[in-house]
Amino acid sequence: MKALLLTFTLLPTLALGADPTADEILAKYDAVMGPSTFESQAEMTATREDGSTRTYAMRFLKRDADKFRVWFAEPASVKGQEVLRLGDNAWVYLPNLKRATRIANRDSFQGGDFNNADVLRVNYRADYDAKLVDSPVPDTWALKLKAKTPETAYDAITLIVRKRDLQPVRGEYYGTSGQLIRSATFSDWRELDKGFVRPARVVMQNEVVKARKTEMVTRTFKVNVDAPPQRFMQADLGK
Amino acid sequence: MALVKLALRNLARNKRRTAITFVALVAGVGAMVAIKGFMNGQRRQILENQQRGNLGALQVHRKGYVANVLASPLTLDFADSPALRATLAAVPAVVAVSPRIEFGAQLSTPDRRPPPDDGSDLPEADRGQSSFLLFTAIDPATERVVTPKRWEWVSWARGQMPRAASDAQVVLNDDFAKGIAVPLWAAGEAVPPIEQQLAVLAPDRDGSLNGVNVVMAGTLASATPNDRRVGLMPLATAQALLRMEGRVTEYGLAVAEGADLAEVKRLVEAAVGADFEVHTWEERLPFVRDIVDTQDFVFGIVSGIFLFVVLLGVVNAMLMSVLERVREIGTMLAVGMRRRQVVQLFIAEGVVLGLVGGALGALVGFAWVSWMNARGLSIPAPGAKVPSLLRPSVDAAFLARATLQATAGAALASLWPAWRASRLRPVEALAHT
Repeated sequence: MKALLLTFTLLPTLALGADPTADEILAKYDAVMGPSTFESQAEMTATREDGSTRTYAMRFLKRDADKFRVWFAEPASVKGQEVLRLGDNAWVYLPNLKRATRIANRDSFQGGDFNNADVLRVNYRADYDAKLVDSPVPDTWALKLKAKTPETAYDAITLIVRKRDLQPVRGEYYGTSGQLIRSATFSDWRELDKGFVRPARVVMQNEVVKARKTEMVTRTFKVNVDAPPQRFMQADLGK
Repeated sequence: MALVKLALRNLARNKRRTAITFVALVAGVGAMVAIKGFMNGQRRQILENQQRGNLGALQVHRKGYVANVLASPLTLDFADSPALRATLAAVPAVVAVSPRIEFGAQLSTPDRRPPPDDGSDLPEADRGQSSFLLFTAIDPATERVVTPKRWEWVSWARGQMPRAASDAQVVLNDDFAKGIAVPLWAAGEAVPPIEQQLAVLAPDRDGSLNGVNVVMAGTLASATPNDRRVGLMPLATAQALLRMEGRVTEYGLAVAEGADLAEVKRLVEAAVGADFEVHTWEERLPFVRDIVDTQDFVFGIVSGIFLFVVLLGVVNAMLMSVLERVREIGTMLAVGMRRRQVVQLFIAEGVVLGLVGGALGALVGFAWVSWMNARGLSIPAPGAKVPSLLRPSVDAAFLARATLQATAGAALASLWPAWRASRLRPVEALAHT
């Protein structure tokens, strides 16, 4: 709903030809990539440096701005693994450990090139300060994001969105010493739910080990679903 | 030869001054040799700890493993077969073969309290912590022969090493474990309930996340640089965690004392074939090279200053000698001695001073180094907390170089006094009082 509202509030500004502010662009990104409450199914394929790939199937459930659940279904080696994020805390539940263990924003998400925050914590307006910069790509806006706290997943991000509808095209992610560590390419923009458009495919390229990349494909996406609060408790992990 | 005899005689004329200059030279060169010997001993100590505590004399990996951009790629592994072990053990001078896996993993300590029932956050201080560590999976039975120092390091810290390859235990660095308050499980006690154990999470060989509950059986005292964020895990436990049953990434080899390591390496390479690579412990330690380079640089500056100060003393002594002998120089020039010969005479005095003083200094330094080498200094290696015996040593080449430096320096230091002597005008010099 929020996403729709934002789209509507942004449309007039776009129609009038006035340039959106950095904050408006970022708000739109958050609304597209991390809407408030949703349920979705996704497939993630990690390509490793030796060329081997592995595909994971998972289900996401999000409630409000900061409650998130992940259930892994495939392959067999990760079936039954679950992730819970509550505010600044996140846990992974491993069935063979029979308990939850804390995980950090910057840790890799299931051995791929996304980190936990990329998947569990898309709320750039809360985590980063944004500023409009010259875009290297025609017909796009570019934002330079600076981390507000050292706990964020990256120290800086360059985000490139289309002028037409503010959908993300590319992201570049920088580490502590200013080096480029990941870059994301967004594609396959689709109306996944009624009135809700977002890129169904994100490829995260590892810029440190170039042969590594991870692709996340969204299969289904439903906004404004019923997300019962009891699903977002530690005690619910493994149930 | 006459020149040398003359130089010796001249030096003997003022015994006290010559003796003082000698003492300065002997002390300077002696100290240089002693410092160098100490540094060599320190380097040996670091390397010994690495060989007998971390690496083993030789390491065998799949080809390309060491050069791989990822620190420890699990995909470059191999089957730990009895046949391969037997092939390696059959190489002359190979004493033991120990299978290992090196892998990165996240270690998580348990929360100190259960989560509040109302779903609110635990206070920061009560939350468990996670750290990324580099683990080495070892089989205690074989590893004890290849890297016995690990057992020694545990005895300097707390707890004990795991006994069996399948123990669900880890051994961590003592400073690190204290830093994040990892509870120690005392052997013989009941294992705590799983929510109070440590969790080790790691991507398996295929990159999927896996984990294992463990207890900390012991800690390692710090003995080598950069060893705070390392841990040990029994091999079978790690193989289950990494889903690598029967596979390893490394063999550590112990080699008989006194064997020629380069030669054994060649034989091992020939035995395992082109699919594998073999490295000596020294080849695996680029940071030791850095330490040595830094030490050499500092040593260069210090010994340069030493030499400079000592040589200033030589300049002073030679200048005094020239001033004292003005009439004598005038006489020599008056009876037909060439100015060049005057220069040579004084330089010869400097060379004799430097050669004898330098050689004596080198001998004194060498005597100290030899004595300390036999005795051993019980101090920790750089960056270590565990004392080990430091045995200083210098080689003959360094002794020769130090003597030569002192000689050349003394010759150089006599240049100016000698030149001044040669520039004297005979008439004025003869009238000098």
